[in-house]
Amino acid sequence: MTAPTRDFGVSAVTRRVVSPPRSAKAHEGTQMSEDLLCETLVELVDTVVADFDVVDFLHVLVTRSAELLEAAAGAVLADRRGALRLAAASTEGARLLQSVQLDTAQGPCLDCFRACRPIAVPDIAAAERIWPRFARAAQQLELHSGQSFPMRLRDQVIGVLNLFRPGRGCLSLAELRVGQRLADAATIGLMHQRSVSSSEMLIEQLQTALNSRVLIEQAKGKLA
Amino acid sequence: MTDSISARVWAYLAESAAGRGADMAVADVCATAVWMLAVSGSWVTAGGLAGSRHFMCVSDQVSEQLAELQLTLGEGPCEDVLRSDSPVLVPDLAVAEANVKWPAFAPQARMAGAAAIFALPFRLGRAAVSAGALAAYRNAPGPLSESELRDGLVLAEAAASLLVSSQQQPHAAQAAGSGPGGQSPALALRRSQIDQATGMVSEQLAISLADAFARLRDYAAAHHRSLSEVAREVVARRLTFTDDQGMPAL
Repeated sequence: MTAPTRDFGVSAVTRRVVSPPRSAKAHEGTQMSEDLLCETLVELVDTVVADFDVVDFLHVLVTRSAELLEAAAGAVLADRRGALRLAAASTEGARLLQSVQLDTAQGPCLDCFRACRPIAVPDIAAAERIWPRFARAAQQLELHSGQSFPMRLRDQVIGVLNLFRPGRGCLSLAELRVGQRLADAATIGLMHQRSVSSSEMLIEQLQTALNSRVLIEQAKGKLA
Repeated sequence: MTDSISARVWAYLAESAAGRGADMAVADVCATAVWMLAVSGSWVTAGGLAGSRHFMCVSDQVSEQLAELQLTLGEGPCEDVLRSDSPVLVPDLAVAEANVKWPAFAPQARMAGAAAIFALPFRLGRAAVSAGALAAYRNAPGPLSESELRDGLVLAEAAASLLVSSQQQPHAAQAAGSGPGGQSPALALRRSQIDQATGMVSEQLAISLADAFARLRDYAAAHHRSLSEVAREVVARRLTFTDDQGMPAL
């Protein structure tokens, strides 16, 4: 085994975030948001529970992202055919800004998904020429900057975590890290959940196939 | 330690599949078990609804006979594994203990050619009970060594994953007439004949399916014939159950 080039482990994530935040803005209640971040990351990867609900899960992702990064947050997920669908939003504004991007098939969220890398939009108004409907909608909602994080695991992108803020400018380096870690943890959680539920589905299929064959053949015999 | 055993077992399974020129399947578990566990034959039985048993693969005729004997008699190592969820290891079928445990199965299994018999449980997913067993026999008495037992447990686990993963295979990739979980066409046919015969006997005697199956079993046991042979006769209408009192005549 070669050493992994990127770490997704929770311990690695929390270790990094525990180092003093670089942005001045980031924190008076530093300890509190660190606790919240750790708690959130653990919650996002711990998806193999009996009553897993993907809607609740994504709600946790966007509300905690909103709280930790002081932004309106939203998430979109790719469906089976790879088309993006609205998945969750912390505010109506975030929902609208994602929806307009999916409707027009353009915007930072789609670029982030296609390129599989984070996209920063420090001044949405300046992008009016390339994304006119998105930019106008953002201005009406008074959300002037945006940041999109790919939800990716190795080569696979399964969705995008989007942030929108009223102020212009980029996220700090520390905030960018937190955002990507949240997106990564959510991806691991979702992928794990999907693999468990798909193997459970296969087991059920096998048992159903064995049992239904018995019933079918017995019925054939009865009719013979 | 366990990881390296498991890697070794899976490598042999892959080799066996490559030798057949097919995707890895439960048949590779039986074939690999024979030489890895130094046994004469091996089979995989899966438990189903209402105590039904499905033979997913057999390495030879004696193995199939041993699997069927247990279905016919309702006793034997696989039955015990499915009930108790722990391995059953009988290095010598001739000892009194085995005959006490399985008064009908033990002597008939020896007649079929088994001197030692072993059954190891496997589970599916997060289920708390065993879903089936990897079983093996030897034509001479002798215990499984510690390392054979360890390999055997890994092979049983592999059987479970392969049964499940074969559900993912497209129908086109499966042999015509094959059953669920990678069951071979021959085993699938014999299974369906047992079920069809059950349905026919239930009509012939106007009794429930469970009772009809019991009648088939009793008939096979009383006549020292295999259940699938009796079922084939019924399906071919060479054997009809008419008399509710006694046994039908051929």
